[in-house]
Amino acid sequence: MHYSKAHIWFVGPAVLLMFIILIFPILLAGGISFTNYNLGNPSFDWIGLENYEKMFSRKTYIKMIWATATYVLIVVPFSVVIGLCAAMLLNSLRFGADIYKTIFFLPVMATLLAMAIAWEFTLHPTMGIVNSFLANGCGGIREFLFGFHWLPWVNSNESWYHIACENNNDFPFWLKDRGYAIWTVCFIGVWQAFGFNMVLYLAGLTSIPRELYHAAEMDGAKSTWEQFKLVTWPMLGPTTLFVITITTIRSFQVFDTIEVLTKGGPSKSTYVMMYAIFEKGIQQNLTAIAAAITVVFIMFVILLTFFQRYVIEKRVHY
Amino acid sequence: MKNNQYIGEGWKHAILIIGALIVLLPFYMVVSISLKSQQEIQSISGGLIGAQEVQTFPVCTKMGMSDETCTMKPYVYNYWFAFKKAPIARYLLNGLFVTVSIFLIQVLIALPCAYALSKLRFYGREFIFSMVLFCLLIPVHAIALPLYVMLAKIGLVDTYAALIIPWTISVFGIFLMRQFFMTVPDELIDAARMDGMGEYSIVWKVMLPTAIPALLAFAIFSVVAHWNDYFWPRIVITGNRDLFTPPLGIREFRGGVDSDEFGPMMASIVTITVPLVVAFIIAQKRFIEGITMTGMK
Repeated sequence: MHYSKAHIWFVGPAVLLMFIILIFPILLAGGISFTNYNLGNPSFDWIGLENYEKMFSRKTYIKMIWATATYVLIVVPFSVVIGLCAAMLLNSLRFGADIYKTIFFLPVMATLLAMAIAWEFTLHPTMGIVNSFLANGCGGIREFLFGFHWLPWVNSNESWYHIACENNNDFPFWLKDRGYAIWTVCFIGVWQAFGFNMVLYLAGLTSIPRELYHAAEMDGAKSTWEQFKLVTWPMLGPTTLFVITITTIRSFQVFDTIEVLTKGGPSKSTYVMMYAIFEKGIQQNLTAIAAAITVVFIMFVILLTFFQRYVIEKRVHY
Repeated sequence: MKNNQYIGEGWKHAILIIGALIVLLPFYMVVSISLKSQQEIQSISGGLIGAQEVQTFPVCTKMGMSDETCTMKPYVYNYWFAFKKAPIARYLLNGLFVTVSIFLIQVLIALPCAYALSKLRFYGREFIFSMVLFCLLIPVHAIALPLYVMLAKIGLVDTYAALIIPWTISVFGIFLMRQFFMTVPDELIDAARMDGMGEYSIVWKVMLPTAIPALLAFAIFSVVAHWNDYFWPRIVITGNRDLFTPPLGIREFRGGVDSDEFGPMMASIVTITVPLVVAFIIAQKRFIEGITMTGMK
């Protein structure tokens, strides 16, 4: 350790920028959210909690919270579980693991906006390869597989696939369909995110000592599933917690796919928070209400991270 | 026993290959559409590359060019028209300029700060470090609205500065570098001081070289994030095409599935996505390390 005055010039710029770029905007958003300020207006009034009341009563914002919650609650579990399964499969392969790893990581790397447009074409009702694949499979093995006719309780004449085939290939319009849009966007989210989780899990898996598996075997845990329960899953605890937190924070911030594919529609079914902030605050110049959404958003994210740290300290240590 | 293992391995590959096909499907679609003619795209025919029949393109002749120059193979037309319609090279250069500037400024600010936080003793150090830890919680995208209001107030919307300023401070960079510098032995710095080096030269001539591996990972993390970022440029660049970054360029091309020509649009997507994807495939290990770096604690 050393005493010197140099530190002022070393930490000064960073501290100043942290304050101006990260901390002050939060305070500013907090302040604006209690006013009726619109960017461009010369003056404003303090209106108390009105913006927040609007947010929790108006239909649009209720739908916004629903859409965001649905997206997060679908994308997080699916991308985490698929990421874990992919990592465990790759870890147990004798050869070829690197190729799969590269392929599964591609969506993380590629510009999401571009890939969203690519999915739009893939899922297009008339030009898309997915719907033409489904239509060509009417009455064949594809109908059997994807219509779930192999499940004992599905009547093969009443499956969704069969009905679509009967009605002149009336397959879902995916992104244009009120009932499917949010699920389609979720699917793209999972597609994009699971590779990242997989890589984190692969790192977690390599750090588990081999001896633990031998010990578990001695104790009678012979099957793969028992070993997973006894060794792998508990040892991956910290990784899982981290993966869940980071995926949740990222899913909360979903924007690119929504803006380019659905614009929050059809009928606000994909109206997520980041898109709402963009639409209200930037496009419609309703700064105050967008600031209120921002504040709620930041609270979510910070609470979530605190929760993660708390759990890390309490439970995951072994 | 042995046989059983082979069957197991086969099943795993079967599952993974199906997964890989789903993952690669949109990539296949982009490349395929960027090569085919409009008719083939709309009728979903022609496989990966289409028949590549030479034809005269009406959109081209309408632009006042002779039939002769407008007669070519679809893939040539798609890429030619993509570059013709939008200054893609300019978008790519903008992207390069913005991402490199962001990275350099981040290092310029984070490195000295990390050095001070790890190796110098001064009043308020703990407080500043806890400030760094708190700021780690704040996603910059979440505070985009107040930042936009601030930039609009000082008249910086639609400038390069607006694209760069919010990212100049990387608390993650400070945190990462500090953790790294903690592992550098004090003796190294003391020796440098004995040789008469000032604190500034220590940062740039002693600490920087030791930090190259960490910096490289951070560079990949930073460049990939900002090259692909669409949200922030979409907010602060409202109309000036000269400032478009690659994602904004892609957005401009997409006049909507129902209006535009799809071949050139996909050609532009391929052009803009390829640099990063190729870099990734060449230096896979470093990329994965850099992008998942947020995972190390």
